Amino acid sequence: MNGEAASGTMQAGASGTPQVDEAARPLAIQVRNLDFYYGKTRALHNISLDFPERSVTGMIGPSGCGKSTLLRILNRMYDLYPGQRATGEVLYDGQNILAPGVDLNLLRSRIGMVFQKPTPFPMSIYDNIAFGIRLHERVSRSEMDGRVEDALRRVALWAEVKDRLQASATAMSGGQQQRLCIARTIATRPEIILLDEPTSALDPVSTARIEELLDELKGDFTIAIVTHNMQQAARCADQVAFFYLGELVEVDSTARMFTTPRESRTQDYITGRFG
Amino acid sequence: MASSPPASSLSVSGKSRSRALQRKAMDRLATVLSWCATFLVVFVLGSILWTLLKNGLPGLTAALFTRSMGAPGQGGGLANAIVGSILQTGLAILLGAPAGLMTGIYLAEYGSHSRLARAVRFVSDMLLSAPSILIGLFIYMALVAPLGHFSGFAGSVALAILAMPIMVRTTEDMLRLVPLSMREAGIALGAPKWRVILFICVRAARGGIITGVLLAIARVAGETAPLLFTSLGNSEWSLDMRRPMASLPVAIYQYAGSAYQDWMQQAWTGALLVTLGVLIINIVVRIGIRGGRT
Repeated sequence: MNGEAASGTMQAGASGTPQVDEAARPLAIQVRNLDFYYGKTRALHNISLDFPERSVTGMIGPSGCGKSTLLRILNRMYDLYPGQRATGEVLYDGQNILAPGVDLNLLRSRIGMVFQKPTPFPMSIYDNIAFGIRLHERVSRSEMDGRVEDALRRVALWAEVKDRLQASATAMSGGQQQRLCIARTIATRPEIILLDEPTSALDPVSTARIEELLDELKGDFTIAIVTHNMQQAARCADQVAFFYLGELVEVDSTARMFTTPRESRTQDYITGRFG
Repeated sequence: MASSPPASSLSVSGKSRSRALQRKAMDRLATVLSWCATFLVVFVLGSILWTLLKNGLPGLTAALFTRSMGAPGQGGGLANAIVGSILQTGLAILLGAPAGLMTGIYLAEYGSHSRLARAVRFVSDMLLSAPSILIGLFIYMALVAPLGHFSGFAGSVALAILAMPIMVRTTEDMLRLVPLSMREAGIALGAPKWRVILFICVRAARGGIITGVLLAIARVAGETAPLLFTSLGNSEWSLDMRRPMASLPVAIYQYAGSAYQDWMQQAWTGALLVTLGVLIINIVVRIGIRGGRT
């Protein structure tokens, strides 16, 4: 409901990372009074939410609550679909990205996205990573090799695929494909990574690896993750936002959200009474 | 069967037994009818192939491939017709494929539900089922009559018009099978739409798109009607697309209606060649589809 909640002091990330005072962090994205419409249906009601830099914001709530919708506003993915419309402000880098005239390709190169289902392109593992880099930069062959290796190392995929970089990416396992997609996203060196239920199609082992990965990545990137999995939100996120019926009910540090939420609806959802 | 041990809860009363028998009889009847229908279709196809092989194989000589068509009794071959068919079909695909593929891309990726796209889709589907002789007459009016002579080029254009809607349809259908999430993933990396389409979507659908092109080749390679008023046919060796040009289907049409023994023999052999060609393309397509799925 209230955007000020995000600025409440942050005591601990539940994942056991060093304690950080989130209030001191600069904000990567500020959402202000955001409304969103699918045609005539209003899907988001007056959302205000801050995403602190280099930390993980978890977004939870029952299906259809608007959390994925919000995520898809942050990189203007909704622009692909006529009839979808956002009003309000999303401030990023001192600019309202909802305003007309924003260079969407540039915006999306700085705010990357990873989807629910792994989406490897129908090309080699190497080209999957190189595709994104080539879009925005001219790099030499040897530099490209280095960038590809670097991205694959960061997602702990290098050892598994270094001997078959030219093999088709679609032949990899689901968990590998999802890590490849994360590598592809970070290879373009974005500042923010949006993850839309990135592990809901994966097995527990692959899920654990992705979660570890998030923990490492938040040193360099601002991360927003939508998840249906309470444990995942508790493990990965520094702050958690709870959405219900298109409204932001509550946002607070992960520790407080899962121990002493202020709203009874949050309490009910977290303890599994609905959703 | 009826003699299976009846479980207590499934004990068979007289009434339900007769209903069971009735169902069983209907099942038998339907099975037998399906088998008959299948047999009929396979029999017709098999009979055509068998007749073609029986009558065509004896004429399959080296001279058929090395000599041009000649007067009856002079030992001519079909070399010019074979080459003419390959040239005209090849040019037809070269002309039709770019337009067909790009229209398919437009329909699947850009127009989608727009009014223009619906109109184009409708016209393309009409064209798909248009009688091929009409296409031939249209090109006669558009290209042959104004220029004052028949030509292999006009034949190619007629075949291209026939091939185009097939490629439009398959390209659109195949691109529609590419999951939306793949497009979104490309867009999310900051790729402009044309790059996503060309380097991701078309790439993902390329197996199906190539299949469509091959099917179009198979479809037009055996066409006679659109060539009668366009490339006309030519008994002499000619690679000049500006002049009348021979083709296998027209040669078959001409020879099969003649009264000469050797011409009729060559018509059979020509028909066998066209059929084998189309068969080979279809087999390649099947293997391609199977390979593309893995």
